[in-house]
Amino acid sequence: MSALSSPVSVDRDLAAIVGDGHVTRTDFEINGVVPAAVVSPGSPEEAGAVLRLANDRGLVVAPAGGLTKQQIGGVPERIDILLSTSRMNRIEQYDPGDLTISVAAGMAFAEMQSTLREHQQWVPCDAAKLNRATIGGLLATGAAGPLKSTFGHMRDFCIGIQFVTTDGKVAKGGGRVVKNVAGYDLMKLLTGSYGSLAVITRANFKVFPRPRQTRTFICRFASIEEALKFRSFIFQSALTPMCMEIISPRAPEYLGEPGPVHDPDDYAPEHPLSLPAVEWQIVLRAAGSDNVLSRYARDLGSVATHALEGVEERDYWGWISHFEHNVLARHHNAMVIYTHLAIQSVGAALQALERAALDYNFIPAAVGRAGTGHLVLAFLPLSVDPPSAMQYANCVSAFRGLLPPGSSAEVAYCPKEAKPHFDVWGTTPTDVNMMRAVKRAIDPKNILNRGRFIV
Amino acid sequence: MDSSILRQLKKIAGKDAVLDRPEELMLYEYDAGVDKHRPGAVVFAQTTQQVSQIMRLASEKKIPVVPRGAGTGLSGGAIARREAIVLSLARMNKILEIDVPNQRAVVQPGVVNLELSNATAQYGYYYAPDPSSQKACTIGGNVAENSGGPHTLALGVTVNHVTGLEVVLPDGKVIELGGKPQDSTGLDLTGFFVGSEGTMGVVTRITVKLTKLPEHVTTLLGIYNTVEDAANTVVAITQSGITPAALEMLDGWMVRCVEANVHAGYPEDAAAVLLIELEGMREAVEEQAEAVSAVCMQQKAREVRRARDEKQRQLLWLGRKTAFGAVGRVTPSYYTQDGVIPRTKVPYTLAEIERISKKYGLVIANVFHAGDGNLHPLILFDSRDPGQQESSRKAAKEIMACCLSFGGSITGEHGVGMEKMGLMTAMFTEDDLEVMVRLRNAFNPESILNPQKVIPDLHFCREITGPLPKAKVEPVAGVPA
Repeated sequence: MSALSSPVSVDRDLAAIVGDGHVTRTDFEINGVVPAAVVSPGSPEEAGAVLRLANDRGLVVAPAGGLTKQQIGGVPERIDILLSTSRMNRIEQYDPGDLTISVAAGMAFAEMQSTLREHQQWVPCDAAKLNRATIGGLLATGAAGPLKSTFGHMRDFCIGIQFVTTDGKVAKGGGRVVKNVAGYDLMKLLTGSYGSLAVITRANFKVFPRPRQTRTFICRFASIEEALKFRSFIFQSALTPMCMEIISPRAPEYLGEPGPVHDPDDYAPEHPLSLPAVEWQIVLRAAGSDNVLSRYARDLGSVATHALEGVEERDYWGWISHFEHNVLARHHNAMVIYTHLAIQSVGAALQALERAALDYNFIPAAVGRAGTGHLVLAFLPLSVDPPSAMQYANCVSAFRGLLPPGSSAEVAYCPKEAKPHFDVWGTTPTDVNMMRAVKRAIDPKNILNRGRFIV
Repeated sequence: MDSSILRQLKKIAGKDAVLDRPEELMLYEYDAGVDKHRPGAVVFAQTTQQVSQIMRLASEKKIPVVPRGAGTGLSGGAIARREAIVLSLARMNKILEIDVPNQRAVVQPGVVNLELSNATAQYGYYYAPDPSSQKACTIGGNVAENSGGPHTLALGVTVNHVTGLEVVLPDGKVIELGGKPQDSTGLDLTGFFVGSEGTMGVVTRITVKLTKLPEHVTTLLGIYNTVEDAANTVVAITQSGITPAALEMLDGWMVRCVEANVHAGYPEDAAAVLLIELEGMREAVEEQAEAVSAVCMQQKAREVRRARDEKQRQLLWLGRKTAFGAVGRVTPSYYTQDGVIPRTKVPYTLAEIERISKKYGLVIANVFHAGDGNLHPLILFDSRDPGQQESSRKAAKEIMACCLSFGGSITGEHGVGMEKMGLMTAMFTEDDLEVMVRLRNAFNPESILNPQKVIPDLHFCREITGPLPKAKVEPVAGVPA
């Protein structure tokens, strides 16, 4: 690596690109590492010049949006530049008639969504913290919530993408039309690449008509087996719910206003000694006319013990999206794992959670997409001494060992002290050497998010 | 082709699996598009291991390889450049697994698209992407081209239905991308690979999603006295908040052509018809059918018919799916376009196509996926007449220029291949294309696989990959260089 220039001269050169006042300091930590400088370019071209400078001088860059998911991933050795997209935050073009929108990467998702709402349209993404999370950040992290069940995630809506490469070039893939196979699908490649390949500066989406009416049906079961049997019934029925979540016995405690924070590890349920929680839930969200919703009520029959509508329903789904954050607010030392499973592996993964948690002194709680195998699994530390780093490492290893072949499970959150003791990303069915070859092709000096992602 | 290469190919794949006589090779010099080039040899692989051995041999000898499915492609993706080996996957045609509980099927690349849906229907599932050539085209080819079809409006194209791939790289290495889960930790190389047109690797096994058959399906036929009214209906339906399963348009010329061929039940005096399919829960379909009919009538439809039964519904679709074949009956040659435009621009674009048709004195028939703005104007010409051939190419370029001027794309589902390579510079900058080449080279560094496809040879390609024969980039009127 080339010798680092003095911070002062780097700052001066960065300021020459983005203007005085757009190179600032921060005390924001990424897994304990404070970036040396925050640089906020005002255009993709400026972002390109910043990257070129960083590339020439061997500076490590972390692209950043709303800072909602920066703690995911490995502990960086250092971060020289936190490259903020915050000044690139406009809607570039919106054609309601064509159901397409083009947005700069630094715009908060909720802001785009409220513009779409004026035309009864939406991008069906319900990840957490959408008031802060940016378009670029959601794409980079492949973020999703319960709507992933039917709509897929950002990669499935993104029809065009503009990005800046480490050699300073502003490039793009795709376009502004909903069907397009010209050139390679860079939208798929960049979605979920965690800022490791390029800095996303703009994205085009196809948008959808917003459902006019929805209703949520809560179904309760005495065991996980019964819950999964009910899931099979839904698969075989004519019903096509927009969301289908499975909720573990302990999870409902985190689906509401958080209680007081007990630092660091105090597991404090409302009634800790009442009957042990054993009830599993499957929660369905249906969209359609009165007739369609009545059909759901009829077909579900007495299994659905509760129905939610309106504000109550909206808040409920908001809490499901927010589950992991609520867990982390209550238990700073909790560990959260995201899974990617075949449909029939959901039961095995939930049992693996219960088993590994029990063996390593954690309390298990889970929500997730029952129909697609994307679970959010929380391991809550017991209110004794803070767990040791090896306890996390061993627990993760035991949990992964219990997953059926072909599954993958990344540790999204855990104390940073534990991270060096295991691989937070874990194994994946996709060839990792090929991923590395792709990374080398586009970021040969490995300046983007070095040490944080799988490549 | 060098006889020692042929001998080695025969040793790998078997004596009956290699073609090298000119009369045999002639059958593999074209696809369903307009370009032609004779390969040096054709080899039919039957196993992943054979594909791997063939690729290793080709890499060692620096012989280009062009993977091929059923040869129904429309952009020259499976046509040889230079004296290439055409690697046919048509004999790798087994459905390896139908995993109903996981809603997946695992297939070899040579499985015919429709056969998978036929095999899974008994379980209440089907494979959703349905290119018009689905009775012949292979799923491996669909993966290469990221194929669409009428029913991809609501359910998405091939990439939305592929979760796992086994891929042989040019050096013979076999890698896995994804699997049965919808996605996996790390880079989404499965999604990136789909649509790479055989330029990154050879697919030898594919895991696809199976989709639950809908409870209820109904098909409407909107009949119009003018093309504009039909085009305006497309815009109005899109804005109504209903996403039909399919929304197809045929113009009057096409309607008469189809009727003469299969008697699908389209009125021959119509200026245009819309074929609108709605599917889902019975209650939803009924309500949407009423709402869509009302929109059609507001937009001055002469009449809206609804298929009475499954037989009539199938007949309406037969007309649509055999449209290209019907055109083939009445003209010596036709040139299929695949432009995409924003949906609100359908009316203007059709008017422009009409103007171009008159300018060149060529019939241009329209049959297309109106719901997603994916046009398929068919330019009719006589390939024996060089003047007409030239005019058809010019007309095609003007149509593409029109699509691009509306911010559209040069291809919605047929691929770039060799046919539209010269147009890539009208959509993408050199920087865009350079990034694509760098990424492709991570998979296919020496351009052994399907060379000179998708991305034209610009100066940077030589810097990155070494010299390649220059592809011709022709200027297009109305398109910025």
